[in-house]
Amino acid sequence: MASDDFHRAALEHLDALYNFAMYLTRNPPEADDLVQETYLRAFRFSHRFQPGTHLRAWLFQILRNTFLTFYRLRERESALAEDGVPTWDVPMFHDAPEESSGAVEAHTDLERALRRLPEEFRTVLLLAEVEGMALEDVARVLACPVGTVKSRIFRAKERLRGLLRDYTKE
Amino acid sequence: MSAHPPDSDEALAGRLRTELPRYAAPAHVRVALVEGTLPRARPAWLAPVLASAATVLVLGLVFLSLVPRIVPADPVERLVRSVVAEHTRALMWGARHPEVVPTALPWLTQESGIGLRRVFVGDDRLGFVGAEPVYLEGHRGIALHYRDGDGHLLTYIVLPIAGLPVPDRRRVQIEQGTNRWRPALMHDSGFSAWVWRQGDLACFLVSDMVSEVDVERFKDYFVRVRVSTDPVPAY
Repeated sequence: MASDDFHRAALEHLDALYNFAMYLTRNPPEADDLVQETYLRAFRFSHRFQPGTHLRAWLFQILRNTFLTFYRLRERESALAEDGVPTWDVPMFHDAPEESSGAVEAHTDLERALRRLPEEFRTVLLLAEVEGMALEDVARVLACPVGTVKSRIFRAKERLRGLLRDYTKE
Repeated sequence: MSAHPPDSDEALAGRLRTELPRYAAPAHVRVALVEGTLPRARPAWLAPVLASAATVLVLGLVFLSLVPRIVPADPVERLVRSVVAEHTRALMWGARHPEVVPTALPWLTQESGIGLRRVFVGDDRLGFVGAEPVYLEGHRGIALHYRDGDGHLLTYIVLPIAGLPVPDRRRVQIEQGTNRWRPALMHDSGFSAWVWRQGDLACFLVSDMVSEVDVERFKDYFVRVRVSTDPVPAY
């Protein structure tokens, strides 16, 4: 794929990537940086992209890896469970109160509940349900087997339902 | 009425798709990405011009390494440069074979080809540091090192060069008592050097004393060495 064509094709996914970045960072300036860093990396390593595979999944994978590298790993100190998902009681970066300046306020219980999910759960729901990505592509983004994706979606929905029930009781 | 129970997976997935707000990329991010990453067309003439400039630069660097080092054309200046280099080497690293005359005189004479009928071995102003044979500009010679009370190192070097053309315009009149000399005062690399002929020998006295006040003292050191030292060719 020619360089110009690749750039244009990649930029078609800008809105979807930005939306994903917003749900990961909850912060517009950080989402701006994350998306721009994602594109910089994608263009720099465009020769590694295999034509014929899903450019969209490849871009989401870069964005998530960038997020994990620069935004989350620095704050994550807890151990992960066997499937790479932290246990319920482990305090996580994404469970922290939304005290950071510039953070976008959640308007609905659903959004608030989604934000309280661990990143691994939030990501599978955003990719599979919100973006409508195929399970194989989600597995590629998360670098895990499809079975693990299915398991995480199931557990993510379980936890999301629990949080929504709590909000209803309140 | 929904087809799925409100708590079902399908209902939850539907809510995620429809109820969650979507965030569109701000215009400034889009503009920054489009303007910053999409390559602009380069003028057709730019590539050959850059290639030519790079070639010229590389060739220039290659030929620069082949250009011979600039050395003074004047033989005296060339000798002074070598003498100063020897002085700085002694200043930095000390003498290679420091020997205390007169015990080492036979060995020094044999190695340098210079005999010392009399030699200045120091006094209350200049302390003797050592002596060693040297090889400068294709001539064997002898070097004697002294140090004054302020820590200035002086190097006195004698080379077997007959008829050294001491530059007249650099000559300085030095008188002390009944003695009169007119050595040339030369400079190189921040050092001063007295240059004079003594028979068929070329003599040099080097120091880092370059200011007017220091030169007056340097004259005094010259006199002390000149009066007390009598070098001759050994063979």
